[in-house]
Amino acid sequence: MDMVSMGLLAAMGALATIAGASEDLESDVGSQSNPNSQVQLAAQVGHTHRIYNKAISGEPPSNALYAALAAVTASVLMSDAYGMNAFFSIAVGSLVAAVFNGILSMTSYMGRNTSQARFNQYVYLDVLRSHTTTIMAHAYITAFCVVAISYIMTAPWLPIQHPFPLPVIAFTWGIALGAIGSSTGDVHYGAEREFQQYPFGAGLNAANSGDIVTKGEAGLRSSIDNAWFCAKFGGPVTGLAFGLIVFLDNWRTTIFDPATQGWYAIATGVLIVVLLNVYNRILEVRSKKRYGPYPEYAGDIKA
Amino acid sequence: MSTFDASTLIYIIQIVIGGLLVGIGVHFVPVGGAPAAMAQATGVGTGTVQLATGSGLTGLISAGLMMSVTDNILLIVLSGAVGAMIMMDVTMIVGNWVYIYGVGVPPVAAKVDYDPITKDPQPPYIGPGTVGHGVPTVSYVSGTIGGLMGGAGGSLIYYALMNINGVSGLSAFFAIGIFVVNAVIASYNIQGTIEGFHDPKFKRIPRAVQACFIATLIIGIFAVLIHGGA
Repeated sequence: MDMVSMGLLAAMGALATIAGASEDLESDVGSQSNPNSQVQLAAQVGHTHRIYNKAISGEPPSNALYAALAAVTASVLMSDAYGMNAFFSIAVGSLVAAVFNGILSMTSYMGRNTSQARFNQYVYLDVLRSHTTTIMAHAYITAFCVVAISYIMTAPWLPIQHPFPLPVIAFTWGIALGAIGSSTGDVHYGAEREFQQYPFGAGLNAANSGDIVTKGEAGLRSSIDNAWFCAKFGGPVTGLAFGLIVFLDNWRTTIFDPATQGWYAIATGVLIVVLLNVYNRILEVRSKKRYGPYPEYAGDIKA
Repeated sequence: MSTFDASTLIYIIQIVIGGLLVGIGVHFVPVGGAPAAMAQATGVGTGTVQLATGSGLTGLISAGLMMSVTDNILLIVLSGAVGAMIMMDVTMIVGNWVYIYGVGVPPVAAKVDYDPITKDPQPPYIGPGTVGHGVPTVSYVSGTIGGLMGGAGGSLIYYALMNINGVSGLSAFFAIGIFVVNAVIASYNIQGTIEGFHDPKFKRIPRAVQACFIATLIIGIFAVLIHGGA
């Protein structure tokens, strides 16, 4: 372990944290992941809305696409044929990814909303104008950070020297990042923000499906309002999740040289896993103690 | 053109074992799909394939780094397994943060009355109109096992392919492909949602083993031929 490696590891962790947060907020502004099922249902049960609606695909494949696109463009620009500096290559690559994101988002929004015309759901051009650029901006940050992490892992003049080519490693991190964003931050949007009119401390009752909040603090609620709310908790914790994964996974192989101390690296990983299992148990016990059983419960099993 | 010898057979067997590990591992991953994203079902609020692939590929990155410095199969496979477990565990922990602090629901399993590991009663903590929420202890442990098997399986496939062609990018991409095929087959088997090894759907594993075996065998033969001839 040397100081340069530790510094790079810290930079990767920080970049991953930003990438995680921006990825989650991008999916919240666009309403991309699983919570979008409620947005699509809303118009059908009589709640027309001004929420952006872009379920392009699952988050992992779409983020893998953006990251790989940015990385391929950056690789080409960095190659001997063009010889562009790495920083600007990644910036241009991320721009290409953001443009692709914008095209997919717009077609997705227009396609989905026009298909719901029979439920009086409109295509709002002002929503399209204001939200698409916000989504693209978040996608740009995400792609930039993911490709920067991948570049740090693969650049020939840096110490980590991962064997995968830049686009493959960016693709892989893109899939992992999408999986994390879909699993963590989106729950804050789907379970809390979309159904804020129901009391805090309950999941969505199946009977209330599609009854999403359509009115804002002033006027009608837009998806940018949703990102504002999710930026307070869902986004940052998603960033923390991705940052922790990138940091912990690479930390073990930074403090222990995989060539000579591979077993120590694996043992450290196992120790981290055991500690996380214990921590989850503590979380579960504390939450059940704090919240107590539901008053509506009428069964025989004692809490 | 490559020749079909004993070592080729061993690589195909390794790919098939890797594929089976992935297929079985996916059954352990607690995912609730779209309902879980609205705290309406137990498990992580995403798709089976998405989470399993995310963790398996994080393991692949660890395994790839390890394989660049050693030939020890055990080190490579375990490195992949540990990387996948870390990804899975951190994701489930942060998912639980969101359920507990963001939505205000405790983690609870709905398919059993008592948690098989901790013996805690579950039904009193299930929100009205939902079928559980969050990742309780039994699902968490199950998810960790799923990460272990998925990461190990992906790494084993990568190891076999790397031994054939020695090109890491190509091997990684083929490994990702074989991984996703098995994850999707397993996902069909559990129809999108499962709480973990205590879920009745878990008993469907034999069907997934058969399907994954056939699929991976066919892909494995082609993968070895394509890579050997490349």
